[in-house]
Amino acid sequence: MIVGEQKSIAELQKIIAPYKKILILGCGTCTKTCFAGGEDEVATLASALRLACRKNGTGISIEELTIERQCENEFIQEAAPAASRNEAVLSLACGAGVQAVARRFGTTPVLPGVNTTFIGVLERQGIFTEECVGCGDCRLALYGGICPIARCSKKLLNGPCGGSKNGKCEINPDTDCAWQLIIERLTALGQLDNLRTYIPPVDWRSSNSGGPRKLVREDHII
Amino acid sequence: MDNTCTPVITVFCCTHTSTEGSPLFPDDVSGADLRIIRLACTGMLKDVFLLRAFESGSDAVVVLACPEGDCLHSEGNIRAARRVTYTRGILEQVGIDSQRLVMCNIAPGDAEAASQALRHAAAVLTDTDGGLS
Repeated sequence: MIVGEQKSIAELQKIIAPYKKILILGCGTCTKTCFAGGEDEVATLASALRLACRKNGTGISIEELTIERQCENEFIQEAAPAASRNEAVLSLACGAGVQAVARRFGTTPVLPGVNTTFIGVLERQGIFTEECVGCGDCRLALYGGICPIARCSKKLLNGPCGGSKNGKCEINPDTDCAWQLIIERLTALGQLDNLRTYIPPVDWRSSNSGGPRKLVREDHII
Repeated sequence: MDNTCTPVITVFCCTHTSTEGSPLFPDDVSGADLRIIRLACTGMLKDVFLLRAFESGSDAVVVLACPEGDCLHSEGNIRAARRVTYTRGILEQVGIDSQRLVMCNIAPGDAEAASQALRHAAAVLTDTDGGLS
């Protein structure tokens, strides 16, 4: 899932300052799961902003709505009536959701309420970890299902750096050494020989470094 | 605080902190207008409940939970404590003194502890800039 974190109240107050009527639009998929933009977070933020505006003596009208996903038109259209009633939309989706909503509502400012941080997993309740950088050339089969690009601080593809201690990264002792995990995993799978293959430098053109990417599925185009 | 106004204190309490027939909140406690909201467990408490209590005119909010390790639902009181901490952070961000949100763990039926919590909340109001609204 895409993981994000809600912006601070102070930053959000600056972002919405020009508007008197806003719609806080939640997203019921990724940002809901990471507690940044689901129904509960929309309600909490709306209440916090109302309190902040009351404290500052500035009036504001806030409408709340959460749709299933902000990255699909099918769901975005459910927000059209609410968006038209307000001067701006404060989206609690990821950056993709904000842009998809902005594209749909051409004359309504759509503002970001969340800092999108990474593609990750729920490691355990309340803890999310980055697991994928979307490089566009997945080699997890080679590394036993552990990505050295996303999880090794130095993004090394041909073995550990030698700086880890007790299985922890020398960059951050709270971070597991990805290469320790890779070697343990490949050993358990009986695939340690995978590491005898030299991996050449990554061709980053398949990543975002090659410019905005597009996926076309001709078989699904209507 | 404007002394001519009666402070409003909203109390969220677990039903297990009060027993049938024994009033947990004597009328004269704190001299405040009390709004009591009983929950099946303080684990049900959400951040937004606390914020909306302030929005709807409360000058202080008190959460009364069972003692740690004594929650009928295992760890509802611990979860409530975390949400209270989180909500205090929000209150500070919006410019409201987070001391206005008070949490106490009290034994079932301990009216004296409940009264103390309310007196503490009332004292906070006199120490801060008083009424919110």
